[in-house]
Amino acid sequence: MENRHRRSSLLKYFTDGKFAELSDPTVGVDFFARLIEVKDGTRIKLQLWDTAGQERFRSITKSYYRNSVGALLVYDVCNRTSFEHIPRWMMEARRHIEPHRPVFCLVGCKLDLVMNGCRREVSQEEARAFAEQYGVHHVETSARTGYNVEDAFRTVTQEVYNRIQNGEYKVEDGWDGIKTGFARPGGLDFNLVEAEPTKSSCC
Amino acid sequence: MFRSRSWFGGGLWKPKNPHSLEHLKYLYNVLSKNQTVSENNRGLLVETLRSIAEILIWGDQNDSSVFDFFLEKNMLSFFLRIMKQKCGSYVCVQLLQTLNILFENIRNETSLYYLLSNNHVNSIIVHKFDFSDEEVMAYYISFLKTLSLKLNAHTIHFFYNEVNEHTNDFPLYTEAIKFFNHSEGMVRIAVRTLTLNVYRVEDASMLTFIRDRTAAPYFSNLVWFIGNHIIELDICVRNDADHQSQNRLSDLVAEHLDHLHYLNDILCLNIEDLNKVLSEHLLHKLLVPLYVYSLTRRKDLLCQNQEERKYVSTVVALFLLSQVFLIVPHGPLVRTLAAVILKSNIDIIKNGASQVLKQYEDIISNTTVAFSPPKESLDKSLENLNESSKLENVAEKTVDKDKKNWYSMEKDKSIKSSTYITESNSVKTEFDKVDVANETIEEIKYLSVTDEEKEQRLALENPLTSEATGNTIEQDSLSNKPFLETILNSLYCTENDYAALFALCLLYALANNQGIDPETMDLVLAPLKVSIKNLYNETLINRIIHIITLSCQINAKVRLVTLELATKLLIQLVISENEVLLQDYHLAAVEAAKEQSTTLLRNFYKGEDIFLDMFEDEYSEIQKKPLKVEWLMMDSNILLPPTGTPMTGIEFSKRLPCGEVERARRAIRVFFFIRELSLTLNNEIETQLPLTNPSSCVQVNNVLDLNNSDLIACRVVWKDGQKIKRFLVIDCIQLILVEPDTRKLGWGVAKFVGFLQDIEVAGDKDDSRCLHLTIHKPLSCSTSNRIPLLSAKFIFEDHIRCMAAKQRLTKGRIKARQKKMNQIARLLDIPTATPHCSTPPNYALMGFRNDRMVGRGQRPKDQQRMFTVNKVPGFAAQMRRDSLIKSGTKRLEGSPSVKCQEASIRIRDSSPKMPRPRSEEIPLEDMRLRKSSLTTTPVCVAEHVEVGTLAASSPEEPEILIRKYSEETSFTERQNNETRVSRRKGKVETV
Repeated sequence: MENRHRRSSLLKYFTDGKFAELSDPTVGVDFFARLIEVKDGTRIKLQLWDTAGQERFRSITKSYYRNSVGALLVYDVCNRTSFEHIPRWMMEARRHIEPHRPVFCLVGCKLDLVMNGCRREVSQEEARAFAEQYGVHHVETSARTGYNVEDAFRTVTQEVYNRIQNGEYKVEDGWDGIKTGFARPGGLDFNLVEAEPTKSSCC
Repeated sequence: MFRSRSWFGGGLWKPKNPHSLEHLKYLYNVLSKNQTVSENNRGLLVETLRSIAEILIWGDQNDSSVFDFFLEKNMLSFFLRIMKQKCGSYVCVQLLQTLNILFENIRNETSLYYLLSNNHVNSIIVHKFDFSDEEVMAYYISFLKTLSLKLNAHTIHFFYNEVNEHTNDFPLYTEAIKFFNHSEGMVRIAVRTLTLNVYRVEDASMLTFIRDRTAAPYFSNLVWFIGNHIIELDICVRNDADHQSQNRLSDLVAEHLDHLHYLNDILCLNIEDLNKVLSEHLLHKLLVPLYVYSLTRRKDLLCQNQEERKYVSTVVALFLLSQVFLIVPHGPLVRTLAAVILKSNIDIIKNGASQVLKQYEDIISNTTVAFSPPKESLDKSLENLNESSKLENVAEKTVDKDKKNWYSMEKDKSIKSSTYITESNSVKTEFDKVDVANETIEEIKYLSVTDEEKEQRLALENPLTSEATGNTIEQDSLSNKPFLETILNSLYCTENDYAALFALCLLYALANNQGIDPETMDLVLAPLKVSIKNLYNETLINRIIHIITLSCQINAKVRLVTLELATKLLIQLVISENEVLLQDYHLAAVEAAKEQSTTLLRNFYKGEDIFLDMFEDEYSEIQKKPLKVEWLMMDSNILLPPTGTPMTGIEFSKRLPCGEVERARRAIRVFFFIRELSLTLNNEIETQLPLTNPSSCVQVNNVLDLNNSDLIACRVVWKDGQKIKRFLVIDCIQLILVEPDTRKLGWGVAKFVGFLQDIEVAGDKDDSRCLHLTIHKPLSCSTSNRIPLLSAKFIFEDHIRCMAAKQRLTKGRIKARQKKMNQIARLLDIPTATPHCSTPPNYALMGFRNDRMVGRGQRPKDQQRMFTVNKVPGFAAQMRRDSLIKSGTKRLEGSPSVKCQEASIRIRDSSPKMPRPRSEEIPLEDMRLRKSSLTTTPVCVAEHVEVGTLAASSPEEPEILIRKYSEETSFTERQNNETRVSRRKGKVETV
């Protein structure tokens, strides 16, 4: 539970900026929806569902993944173990989202801790190399300061949109990963899950 | 702060510190002044709601007076009041999100209790939001889900009220399950999460409420919902012979899996009462009437109204049942289901559908067995909840019946066990009679096989018939058991293996389900542990072996996955406690199949490089990805009729081969599967595969004794410009780049190793001291990217050393490959050209002689071909000639033309750059591996005929040096890698 709060804080930071000035980074949100405008002006609604706290039931995480188009793989830059669990999460997400190819974004969080003198256990270079190897995006964020949080979500959204544009994703019946918006014709919705990298606890 | 407090007593102006009691007081003021939502104050309200959550969370951890104030002023009631005005989604969404964040982040138990204590939360839950707005829906359901995560033995009482009989007693649960079939997947998932979170709270009275008041309506609706998904899935399969809607189908399959996992998650919580109700609904309303009944089309059965009866195709039914048995291990459920499938006979079924379940069930059964819509919608049933007294009675009754049924079940059990032996006998008998007589023979006619094979097959079936006719017991025979009959008949692959694959899956799933008692299974599958030897279901084994035999045919319609599963199942069924129960004639049939698969593969055996590559690639594929039935059953593609074209995107093993190359690959895999089966059944260990024994290879960082080894000094220049000085050592299968060991003179540390068989060598146009070397990754470790292991320029001291290295590499490649080809030949019982000599120079020599007969003009090309390493080298022609003699060979498509091209390219780029003619002789191959042989397998001492000549030797008078020496070629001996010291006797840098 402890950990769940920290991770979710990334999420809360993006909820329409409504919590942007909240200084307590432990506040979590397990769901949010918001509109993001991609480069050509199309507005996309991003829905983010947090899988945290539901690991107990196999059927649930599985289902969440299946109805998603991508995942944020979040690790703590000051916690090596959390980074080491990333490949496992990635495989899990990949397996469940199949046959669709998920969009991943590797997110190193709690950058503010490093700035406050906490020892960094995962270097930016290493994470970047890992991301490149798997062909995923990488950002380092701080939910406390809001640094790059917007960026993380924007990157994923843009990537999803690109894949729709080049035909890799089709808006189709039966898959809830992406669907056309109800409210505005031409708009698109998509779901994202946030995968929890670690069960370890730290400050 | 001072200002706001003193002048306005609790804040009309926003205090500077957002985290303070003062700020909350200010927000309270805002709320009380804006109790009516209007266009103008919306923004303000939303911002206020947002801030409230923020302060509360802060207060929860820092200042208890914040919560006191919140409760004192009853601020949640403001929320309610706002909500009750039709205020539009903007405000509603923020409200729900605020609540969501609030409940998710409260850590202090007391704060949580305060928040929940005045029943406002329940009022919010039952509020009718505008659920047509998908965002409101999403936030609402997330809010409920968040609440459910807070449930425990203490908090449950805030949500579930056992005293109050007139309201909806448990709104959190009852409101949520109304959305169990919402069109949005994520909403459905949230509902499922919530229900699971509720069930796992250990509160007896709450669970009683769930069982008595909600379980029946919820489960019956859920089951109906699942059933309709199945029907949709079936329609999708029926209408999609052309594989057009693969994605739709895969989603439907995934959805079914989600359902099953959800049901299994409930069952795994082990709430006995709940499980009973759930199992009953599943069996009576879904699994038996829709899944199991779909296995038979017999009109005389299943008294239900035929027109109305919904069913799915047999294939789909087999597939779905396999999934059920693979996923759900809940004993009472799977036991009953298995019994229905395996034991039901016509009499029982004729007595009426409900009788079927009564026979085997240990669960309540006052419902009819039918896939039919629930009596009323869930919404309605939940509304009627209040009329509690009626329901109470019903519940009591059910409990009564329940008990009675349990007794009858016990009785039934004893009867079952007594009739067991007869049953199993008769199953066998009936099978043999009907099938062998008619179908098999019919089928054998169908197949285009040689007479010999037909005889073989008939022989396989015959002993059975004679044996079986002895004791015929007509009653209770197979044709009397329509469900089992369908499963076993599906194993026939007359036209294709479409249904056979699923029948195998179902049998496998049954055999591996933990919840099924062995007694039920013994009837059909498992060998009896205690009883007489060789007791297994012969008919079943016959049919499985039949599939295996069939797959060795040319143009067989059995997919690889079916074969693999058949072998897997066979091994499981006939091996009990390390003892193979298989009778001799069955073993013989397997051996015959092995022979046949060898023959089949022999047709494809040829000297071309691609064959070796394919052989090794297929081997590693099989090793890397052993069949996992659970995963296979997640793949919706197998639900579509078997196809051959790879354009469907279906994996190779799950479709039929397309084209000659794939037929070769298939033959290779069939060979591997059956070889392994045969080895397992004979209790033998594989000694010949893989072709490269990894433990006999030099690894990077091994320290090697290189005294007396041929070392060629060179500089390696990588693409990025990096230059390193290394010594090149050429082993019999590997190329090794070493660096001198600083501690021991004459020793070296391996810095790089690559297989000779994977190298490509090319000269440099501008620099005669240079070689371009590419070493591909072995196909066996094929990752998706095919970046070469090494691609670099090698600079030698002078031209001669360069040429020597080139020749050595080129030849090393040929030899390494030839060695493996001979290993394969041995596996396939192909006699090699000169027995006991497994070396390429024979071919090279033959090729050379052959060349001499050809006109001179072609000489450069041919010579080049002998030694130039390329993907399709020329010496293969010789090999082909050899194999042609042995069997009618089929050529791999396209290869001849490719070869021509290659050859012409080679002429173009090699002939103008012919180095100066030389007549020097360079003793190239004087390497000897001297090892203390620790072998278990006999060492093959090869009479080695060596042709040492320069690739570009003078066309006028080529000097051929023939040298004899012996070489140890065993691969298996070098187990101890550490101690391994390759001593190579020879000249260092001989020129």
